[in-house]
Amino acid sequence: MPVHSAGPRLYKSIKFEHLVKGAHGGGGHRASNVALNLTPFVDMMTILVSFLLMVFSASGQLLQAQKGLELPKAESKDVLQQAPVIVLTRNEITYQGNLVATVQSVLDDDSPTLKIDALYERLKEAAEKIHADVVVGKVSPAVKKICDGMKNGVRPPPGQLCPDGLAIVQADETTDARVINKVVKTAKDAGFENLLFAVKNR
Amino acid sequence: MGAALGTGDKKSVNVDLNIVPFIDLMSCLTAFLLVTAVWVNIAQINIAPKGKNRDQTVKEDDRPILSVLVQEDKIWIGATRIAETGFDPIPRTNDPDADWRLFEEKLKGWKTNYFNDRTDIEIAAESNVQHPVKYQDLVSAMDHAIKVGFLDVGLTDPAGLSARPQQ
Repeated sequence: MPVHSAGPRLYKSIKFEHLVKGAHGGGGHRASNVALNLTPFVDMMTILVSFLLMVFSASGQLLQAQKGLELPKAESKDVLQQAPVIVLTRNEITYQGNLVATVQSVLDDDSPTLKIDALYERLKEAAEKIHADVVVGKVSPAVKKICDGMKNGVRPPPGQLCPDGLAIVQADETTDARVINKVVKTAKDAGFENLLFAVKNR
Repeated sequence: MGAALGTGDKKSVNVDLNIVPFIDLMSCLTAFLLVTAVWVNIAQINIAPKGKNRDQTVKEDDRPILSVLVQEDKIWIGATRIAETGFDPIPRTNDPDADWRLFEEKLKGWKTNYFNDRTDIEIAAESNVQHPVKYQDLVSAMDHAIKVGFLDVGLTDPAGLSARPQQ
C-alpha cells in the first residue's frame, strides 16, 4: 500500500487566525493564552473518585436487582456474604437464577409437610456439594477454622459465617409469610441450617 | 501546572507537569466506579430455621423458651415454663413504627426479667388467606429481637412454636 504524504493539517495548513496570532504572540495584537484550564476538571474528578471509592461496596454484587422485588427494611447493618441465593419475587421463586416455582402454586399447595419439592431437590444437591467442599478442605484455612469454631459453638463475626449450610433468602417485602415459612422449612430439610435474609438498611 | 525556571541569562527550562495521563487514569477509574457503584446498602439478618416441625419432634428443652407469634392484628410474646406470665398481646394499629417500638420495649422487659443470660428466641408468623402477614412484619420482628439482644433468632412455622397463645 503506497504511502501518501500527509494531508492538510489544522493550524499548519489551515490557518486559524486566532490561534496563529496567539501562538506567535505577535502580529501587532496582544498574545492570548489558549491553553485549556484543566484544574477545575481535575479537582472535580478527584472529588468524584474519592466519593465513589468511599461508597464502593462489594456486597451489592452478591444480589441482583429484580423486577417485582423490593427488599424489606431493617436496622441491621451486618454485611452480607457469598452464598447460594433463593429469590422470591412477587410472582416467582428462583434459585441461582432458575425458576423453581410460582408463588401462587406454593400458596395453593396445602401439603402439611410445608416443603417445596422442586426447590428441595436443588437445595439438597447444592448443600451436599458445599458440605463436601468444606469437609474435603477445598475452602481456605481461615474458612475451615470458622467452620470448626461454629461447630464448637463459637459465634463468628457477621459476614464471616461458615459456608456449610448457609444460604441467602432475597424476598419481596410484601411476600406472604406462608411462602417464607415453606421456603425456610424446605431449606432446613435440604441442609441449609443458617439463612441470611437480605434487607435494606433504613 | 507549569513554570519557566532559570530565567535571566541562561536559557529557560520548561517544567510543565504532564497531567494528561493522570486525567486518563481518573476518567477510567470514575467510569469503573460509577458502573460498579451500589447505591442501596444491603445488610442481612441471620436466622436459623428452628422449632418442632409438623412431621418430626425435637427434644424437650427444660429451660424457658421465649416465643413470638406475629399475626395480622396482634403480636404475641410469651414463654414456656414461666407460670406467672401468660402470652402478652400487642394489638397492631395503623402506626407500625409505634407498634414495633412497643414490641421492642416489651421484649426488653422479658429479656431483663427472665432471659438476661440468653440470646435465643423463636419467631413465627401466622398467615392465612383472610389474615395475611407480610414478610416485612416478620423481618421487623426479627430485626427488633436482634436489637434487644436476642442474637440467635430461630424462625419456625406457627405450629412449631414451643409456646402458643391460648386464643
